Amino acid sequence: MALVATDNPLLAALTFLSAGTAAIVGAIVVPSLLLLYFLKLRRTERVVSSTLLWRRAVYDLQVNSPFQKLRKNLLLFLQLLILAAVLLAISQPVINVMRQPDKNVLILVDRSASMKTEEQDGRTRLSHAKEAANTLVQNLPDDCRVMVIVFAERAEVACSFTNDKRRLVTAIDGIEPTDSHTRIGEALQLAVAYSGQSSDVAADGSAAPTGGNADIRIFTDGHIADADDLGMIEGKVTYHRVGNAGDNVGIVAFDVRRDAERPGMLSVFARVENFGEKPVTADVSILLDGKLLSGAGSIQQITLGPAQLPTTVAADAADLQPAFHNVIFELNHESGGLIEVRLHRSDALSIDNVVQAPIDPPRELSVLCVCERRRPRSAFERVLRAVGVEHTAWMTSSQYETVADAELIRDGRSRFDLVVLDNHDTGRLPPGNYLFLGGVPKIDSVTTSEYVEGQPLVSWQENHPLIRPADFSNVFIARWRRLILPPTASILVEGEDSPVIAAMNDPGHRYVIAAFDVEESNFLLSIPFVVLMQNCTRGLTDAGLSDRGRPASPGDTLTVTVPGGAEKADVKRPDGVTESMDVSGRTSLSYGKTRDAGVYRVSFDDANKTTDVFSINTLSSNESNIRPLDNLRLAQRQIDTAAGDVKVSRPLWPWLIAAALIILMFEWWVYNRRVML
Amino acid sequence: MAQSPPTAAAEGLLDPDFMHRLEQLEITSRKIFASRQKGDRRSKRKGESSEFADYRNYVSGDDLRHIDWNIYARLDRLFLKLFLEEEDLNVSILLDVSKSMAEGKPDKSLFAKRVAAAMSYIALCNHNRVNLYAYRDAVAGQLAGLRGRRTMSRVVQFLETATVEGGSRFTVAAKAFALRHTQKGIVLVLSDFLDKSGVQDGLRYLFGRSLDIYLIQVLSPQELNPDLAGDLRLVDCEDEETAEITVSKPLIDKYKANLEAHCQAIRDYCTQRGASYLRVSSDSAFETLVVTHLRQRGLLR
Repeated sequence: MALVATDNPLLAALTFLSAGTAAIVGAIVVPSLLLLYFLKLRRTERVVSSTLLWRRAVYDLQVNSPFQKLRKNLLLFLQLLILAAVLLAISQPVINVMRQPDKNVLILVDRSASMKTEEQDGRTRLSHAKEAANTLVQNLPDDCRVMVIVFAERAEVACSFTNDKRRLVTAIDGIEPTDSHTRIGEALQLAVAYSGQSSDVAADGSAAPTGGNADIRIFTDGHIADADDLGMIEGKVTYHRVGNAGDNVGIVAFDVRRDAERPGMLSVFARVENFGEKPVTADVSILLDGKLLSGAGSIQQITLGPAQLPTTVAADAADLQPAFHNVIFELNHESGGLIEVRLHRSDALSIDNVVQAPIDPPRELSVLCVCERRRPRSAFERVLRAVGVEHTAWMTSSQYETVADAELIRDGRSRFDLVVLDNHDTGRLPPGNYLFLGGVPKIDSVTTSEYVEGQPLVSWQENHPLIRPADFSNVFIARWRRLILPPTASILVEGEDSPVIAAMNDPGHRYVIAAFDVEESNFLLSIPFVVLMQNCTRGLTDAGLSDRGRPASPGDTLTVTVPGGAEKADVKRPDGVTESMDVSGRTSLSYGKTRDAGVYRVSFDDANKTTDVFSINTLSSNESNIRPLDNLRLAQRQIDTAAGDVKVSRPLWPWLIAAALIILMFEWWVYNRRVML
Repeated sequence: MAQSPPTAAAEGLLDPDFMHRLEQLEITSRKIFASRQKGDRRSKRKGESSEFADYRNYVSGDDLRHIDWNIYARLDRLFLKLFLEEEDLNVSILLDVSKSMAEGKPDKSLFAKRVAAAMSYIALCNHNRVNLYAYRDAVAGQLAGLRGRRTMSRVVQFLETATVEGGSRFTVAAKAFALRHTQKGIVLVLSDFLDKSGVQDGLRYLFGRSLDIYLIQVLSPQELNPDLAGDLRLVDCEDEETAEITVSKPLIDKYKANLEAHCQAIRDYCTQRGASYLRVSSDSAFETLVVTHLRQRGLLR
């Protein structure tokens, strides 16, 4: 435990890590030594010619020296000194300037993509963090209980509360890096939850305030995406800054799109940012299926200025704004493949220098319109033609309900990329995408009640992909049905107290529900209608149903539609590991082990040997900015920074052992020379 | 017979070459002692030897046979002619054979016996009277009135059969010696003088007899420089008294100082009373002692 607090900074910095052990050993050994010393006085007998002179000498010596007892015990004194030194060594004193840790210490280790940064010494930032955490663990007192939580996009308990240092070190050494973003909220929740639990156990009945005694040590480089979104943090939090490197250029945004008019044309967009302090010139190239494209423009040289301080007032040195450059490639490619954009530069963080995205061959869209009325039908016809839908089928609502399954369903899914239902409620909903205009799907989670009349449209989500960039201010709707939706539904357009247009997902289904009759509004004549139809055909079909085609982040769950007849799926991960899963009888497959960035290939054993390709890219300006922050702010609170990068407390035991050896040698000399004082 | 060492038995104590050298030595005394028997030695008393000493006036009662008639004829006065009387010397050797003499390496008793044998041989060669006394807490054995070189074998036998055992009480032994031995002469005491009852009392008996006293204190090297270490229980070999010590440098120093003081006390006591004291270590060559040291002390010539 801590030594008694003194004004002396050196003494205050002296900590005994295992004073208890030393006390126990001392309690056993010191009395034994004394006992042995007295037992030792059984003397060896020696016959001499006369004890005359000896007795006189002993007597004289005793008479002449009042400190005879003390002299006699010099050897014992030296032995006690040796013992004291050894016991001190056992108690593991360390000199440090760390503040005394609490009984419960939570070590939070960042393992996000930025921790893959290679530092100047060739080791990754994560290994530095692990080393620092290990040092901290080693220097904690024995009775200190430690928990290790790793966090990136998700938090995970690497080692629950224990004071077994070997277990802790093993757990810390076993931390593996991910390519995920840094989010600490979950980790802090875990930390507070666990420390609350442990305090109940540890405080021997006296309930400590929950989380109040948590000593949270965060090993990170400081770029935490949700730093400002956190609730209040209780307890002591210390920021252990890890890493030094700051030079990095990375691709932080990436998009591949097919041109709506010319489906053969691909436009590839990448945003490259320079986080370093020096201007950078680098090549950006585009590869298709791993081959560099020939032709002009497949390699572009970009020049980026240094990262600069933002012009805002409260500029912190760490908040350097990166210089950026947008790169756009255009290429003509009719078939599918894997697009890869590569930044040719070796810098501290390499994972953000490559992004990949699979592309599908352009598909001919087919839309089913269930519509009986003349005006809407002509409006649909006009719009669908305008947005480039090749096949449009028409049905009346009665036809839709009665038509054979084969007309609607193929491979367990809707045959159509989009089904538009005008003023028709239906429960016939094979997996697919549905746009309800005036009707609602007959599913449990969606119900309607009375009509809402005479209300203006109050708000709309201007940035939602389905209605962007529509402006609903000129749309007037006479009345709409009050929709009661599950909380997962996202409301696109809202009246005063009820949704008007909403989007929601069910497994295998995607719905966009407009709760008003188009005939009772000027919607069909407005721009938002065209935008909604365009986005529904493009957005729901291309990007909406699965994650395919749109780069996902590490940690996201991949959802794949299982083709009919498939029983087994093999997922080949970027690290080369192939995982097999049983998918018989399931319509979709979810795969969540997307820790690493790269290409995931899902192959099914159906008749067509269907293979789906997904790409996971980190794509985060936050992760690519690898310069460690000097000060960490979490939830508007300045977090204490541990002094120095890694606080190494100096163990003193080797000195004590050396001292013990020296005293031992001195004692040996004394014994042999029979020198006293 | 006079030219060769008389006995083979002496070889255990004295080697022949050394005995040869001893024959050339003779014992002198700082005091010239009167003796009952006429010997080779010039006595203080004027006597009837053939060697002329002096004249003196005649006083009535003098033996008429000693009047120098030639002088009377010439000077008509009576003078008495004095002759030196020659007499023999009593050499007494007191040998300590208490058990403490057996301690130490080399053996103190052997050293003492050799010195005794050498001195006896010298004395016998010079027609002195040799008296050997072995003592412990009392006189344990004696061999008195030896004369002539032939008796050397008895000396050797006596020395060899004298067992070293028992405690030493010099006072008792000296008193017994003084009572028994009333003649004047030289007394050589060979002992370690490690006597708890003290040495001075015993010496007083000897001084009372106005003897020419030589004390040779034989100590073993172990006594002079103890090689002890550790915590020890020292046991006295004579009376089995114990002393518990923890050996340390101050203790050793103290011991040595005490030993010096002990020896010095004996030496001072002897010097004040005209006795001669010599301390030897049992590992020194006893031949050197005899041939060199005792000569320097005037015991031998």
